[in-house]
Amino acid sequence: MPVAGRLAGQKHLGALRDGIALAMPMIIIGSVFLILGYLPFPHYAEFMANIFGEQWLTKLMYPVDATFNMMGLIAAFGIAYRLAEKYGIDAITSGVISLCAFLLATPFNVPFTPDGAKEMVEVGGAIPVALMGSKGLFVAMLVAMFSTEIYRFIVAKDIVIKMPDGVPPAVSKAFVALIPGFVVILLVWLLRLWVENTHFASLHNIVGDLLGKPLGVLGGSLGGSLVAIFLVQLLWSAGLHGMNIVSGVMDPIWLGATGENMEAFKAGHELPNIITKQFFDVFVNMGGSGATFMLVIAMLLFARSQQMKQLGRLSIGPGIFMINEPVVFGTPLVMNPLLIVPFLLTPMINAVVTYYGMDLGLVAKPAGIAIPWTTPPIIGGFLATGGHISGSVIQLVNLVIDFFVYLPFFIMWDKLKKKEELAMEQPVQETEKTE
Amino acid sequence: MNILLCCAAGMSTSLLVTKMEKAAEAQGLTAKIWAVSADAVRNHIDKADVLLLGPQVRYLLPQMKKLGEEKNVPVDAINPVHYGTCNGPEVLKFATSLVN
Repeated sequence: MPVAGRLAGQKHLGALRDGIALAMPMIIIGSVFLILGYLPFPHYAEFMANIFGEQWLTKLMYPVDATFNMMGLIAAFGIAYRLAEKYGIDAITSGVISLCAFLLATPFNVPFTPDGAKEMVEVGGAIPVALMGSKGLFVAMLVAMFSTEIYRFIVAKDIVIKMPDGVPPAVSKAFVALIPGFVVILLVWLLRLWVENTHFASLHNIVGDLLGKPLGVLGGSLGGSLVAIFLVQLLWSAGLHGMNIVSGVMDPIWLGATGENMEAFKAGHELPNIITKQFFDVFVNMGGSGATFMLVIAMLLFARSQQMKQLGRLSIGPGIFMINEPVVFGTPLVMNPLLIVPFLLTPMINAVVTYYGMDLGLVAKPAGIAIPWTTPPIIGGFLATGGHISGSVIQLVNLVIDFFVYLPFFIMWDKLKKKEELAMEQPVQETEKTE
Repeated sequence: MNILLCCAAGMSTSLLVTKMEKAAEAQGLTAKIWAVSADAVRNHIDKADVLLLGPQVRYLLPQMKKLGEEKNVPVDAINPVHYGTCNGPEVLKFATSLVN
């Protein structure tokens, strides 16, 4: 518990989570255009081409590149901004320094194959869009933290250009960023020059090989996901927002996988990842962390105690939109030695079933389309898979499983509550009689 | 009285807001009650007389208390049972007791 608290309160993890959260609305907006581009209706593409011309899809993807594919760029700014905010130093300046440092770490070369040529050539003078998105996420994270730490160090040491009295404060404030900004740019520049002499050639390659790939394997595997889910549920059982704590670490990996799938989906290739951010939001945790949607349905259908009846009515509205704090704290699932069993098990079972359903090709994989995590079940599965009914079907299958895992435990719990209520009523009735 | 509530995304606390508003209305209290996400608290705390955290983000309490001390705003976490049952009157009472 104190460990979890410290982990969640940790400034860098918090900044990671909050900084990447800035990109989320833009990713969702981009996803809307992505869905429209690839609706799985027969003759949809011809229909659109007839109305909007041959280039319709290219044009529809403009906003996707400017939103979804800028995830890394936004994170480079956002993470530095949030970290500086937590340190109480100039946030927007830190964000701008980090943004420039991130671009400096990125070679402005784009691979290009000219007409008729067989060899690909590198064209200079262009910012590679591919590295601004999920592929650049890890570099963005590291650069943001590195540059903000340097900024903080220099400001704390009070190494700033001092302006003489009489210079307007706004002017001298503008110069505060000069030294730390210069040091950050200088260091990243030297780092890049050094890396260019190694076989890695760019910082993006180093970070990808040494950090991104191993972490991706860990977080992108079923085993890794089960560990993550177990931790999330354990934290929630202690009454803490587990997903918020764990996603600080896992979001870069899971969102990176979402981005990879999006690229493949756009290109019409096979989707590389099953475990993405949406795997958890859409398929594992229907009704909120712990897949409590069907627990609420069980409450509505079978509750005999007043408390559970009322809680069911209170929780169904938020539950449809994947919010389950009323169930978690009202039932309560927190510190509940009986209900902790299904609370831990259900999302893990969902993960296994969904994973194998997708791995065996029975169910469409999440297509890298980010939908709001509040999207209700059944609709969510359809949208997240790029419009495949199988996405809704697996959600339905999971819901049925959830129901039967929760039901026996809920009935036992409800009986306890009913007994409690009867015991409370008894003395009241007796006093009424004596009056 | 201005009561600021905060949780991870400001969503589940917003449920409580409506219940607390009703309770305040029933008691004839004029209260402005609103919910924000944890990272937005900094931008809202100046307008608040009291800040209440959802129990699921009570790990932020030390951090928020420090902020509250700077701004002279009392800060505490909401009782989990009151939170889970969306008990507007009780949470309102708690908020009032912190202010006075």
